[in-house]
Amino acid sequence: MTSFEVDPKLYSPLADSQLNVELDTGDMILNIGPQHPATHGTLRLVVRLDGERVIKADPVIGYMHRGYEKLTEYRTYPQITTLVNRIDWLSSFANEVPFIGAAEKLMNIEATPRALYIRTILTEMARISTFLLFLGEMGLQVGAITPAFFGFRDREYTLNLIESATGGRFHPNYNRIGGLKEDLPWGWVAECRNTMKKMLDSCDEFEDLVMGNPIFQARTRGIGIIPAELGASYGVSGSNLRASGVDWDLRRDGEPLLPYNEIEWKTFTHQDGDSFARYWVRLQETRESARMILQLLEQLPAGPIMAKVPRIIKVPEGEIYVNAENPLGEMGYYIISKGATGPFRVKIRTASFSNVSILPWLLQGIYVPDVITVLASLYFILGDIDR
Amino acid sequence: MPSFGDSVKGMSKGLGVTLKTMLKPAVTVHYPHEKEEVTPRARGVIALKEENCTVCMLCARSCPDWCIYIEGHKEKRPARREGGRERTVSVLDRFDIDYALCMYCGICVEVCPFDALHWSPEYEYSEFSIASLLHDKEKLGEWEATVPEAEPLELGAEVKKAKK
Repeated sequence: MTSFEVDPKLYSPLADSQLNVELDTGDMILNIGPQHPATHGTLRLVVRLDGERVIKADPVIGYMHRGYEKLTEYRTYPQITTLVNRIDWLSSFANEVPFIGAAEKLMNIEATPRALYIRTILTEMARISTFLLFLGEMGLQVGAITPAFFGFRDREYTLNLIESATGGRFHPNYNRIGGLKEDLPWGWVAECRNTMKKMLDSCDEFEDLVMGNPIFQARTRGIGIIPAELGASYGVSGSNLRASGVDWDLRRDGEPLLPYNEIEWKTFTHQDGDSFARYWVRLQETRESARMILQLLEQLPAGPIMAKVPRIIKVPEGEIYVNAENPLGEMGYYIISKGATGPFRVKIRTASFSNVSILPWLLQGIYVPDVITVLASLYFILGDIDR
Repeated sequence: MPSFGDSVKGMSKGLGVTLKTMLKPAVTVHYPHEKEEVTPRARGVIALKEENCTVCMLCARSCPDWCIYIEGHKEKRPARREGGRERTVSVLDRFDIDYALCMYCGICVEVCPFDALHWSPEYEYSEFSIASLLHDKEKLGEWEATVPEAEPLELGAEVKKAKK
């Protein structure tokens, strides 16, 4: 604040008069800064507090902007597939799928059935691995350390499977236009079955350990309620919207990219819309993903892994928007191609950007510890917001 | 707040989980002393087989980070048969991969038409200075010894017949 430097010799009569200055003593501005363990990355929240209650909150994003859309202007499709893995780095396989799907649609190429099935299996595995991390770290944000260890430990089994098929634990870079890079190694299907049974057991553990815990329930029930219409109008998608009661899942309701209609599965909705509901929905979805993978493994067709594609891939002119159900929500790619080996312009619609846009409304009137609970339950990844 | 009876039940279920986990053996791998087995497909480091390389520059061109530095020159070799023409052969002078930039995407390995680049699951090559992460031709050749054999594929995969 500015200080008024008053020279006592010149202005002594004024020195003891009362200056009518309005001092803002009521509110405090707290900067939950970009470097903070609870903000999932470099998110900055400038909150105006009255005591411990939030009056107004402003998220400031952009600290992790890496210029993806500019990068894609100068790279070819296989190179962009590599880069795109890193947008939502916890479920990296799921980021490649809509991009490759859009390029394949523009080229009018259909991936082989085996490749589509393996893509679905790996997408669901990415979903399981990122949700297990969520189940662990939401307990951590609320104050329990044990769930974090359980989450990371159980996640390792899935990551090892992804590594044995694709070569990379976090960044598989496995999708290619027309199919996948190479086929699965020997014994993968049997290993996958065992791992999925372990995942189902670990979901039961999380239910006993975290969801039934009365402290967790007291911290999360009734906190951060998103009404269904408001959430939909802000663009909130994925499990956040399903926890508010809206039964919208792009795997079933969107354009068919992957063979989800060939297996039996269901979506889960919860009526409350609070943080507990979001945790509950994601736990059920983890279980459902494990069951889906078991069904997909039974029905895995034999055959080639790559359709016939020309050696140098040039995508014909056109533009297309393809969206898919990423674990975080709806992710879409709008590709404009002018017939070259790389796209002309790619616009990436990410789920976390819209999920975070509801924060100024959602954080009004709640206490500071509940801010952390709400941030944890919305489950955004900064790489997904900022790209 | 849940009722007292529900609270006790909830807490005791959670404590039961931790008790069961405490009685099971720990899954931690004490890293420098014990090492986990890495799958053969793991992308650890790229190895170069120099005799296959024809300096076509496809790998350097397709790298998203431009981390491969290649220099080569053309040499003349004597004709293979009597009365034949002299052959020109590309010789590799410099082939460096800068692992400080490398994204481990594998596009160079995939794109090489002469099978000169291979993946190896070695991952313990960290250095104290970033400049030593630039592996030159000789070092890349040393990694060739760690490249695993091609493993069999899963049931149902297409078996490519070798061209006669």
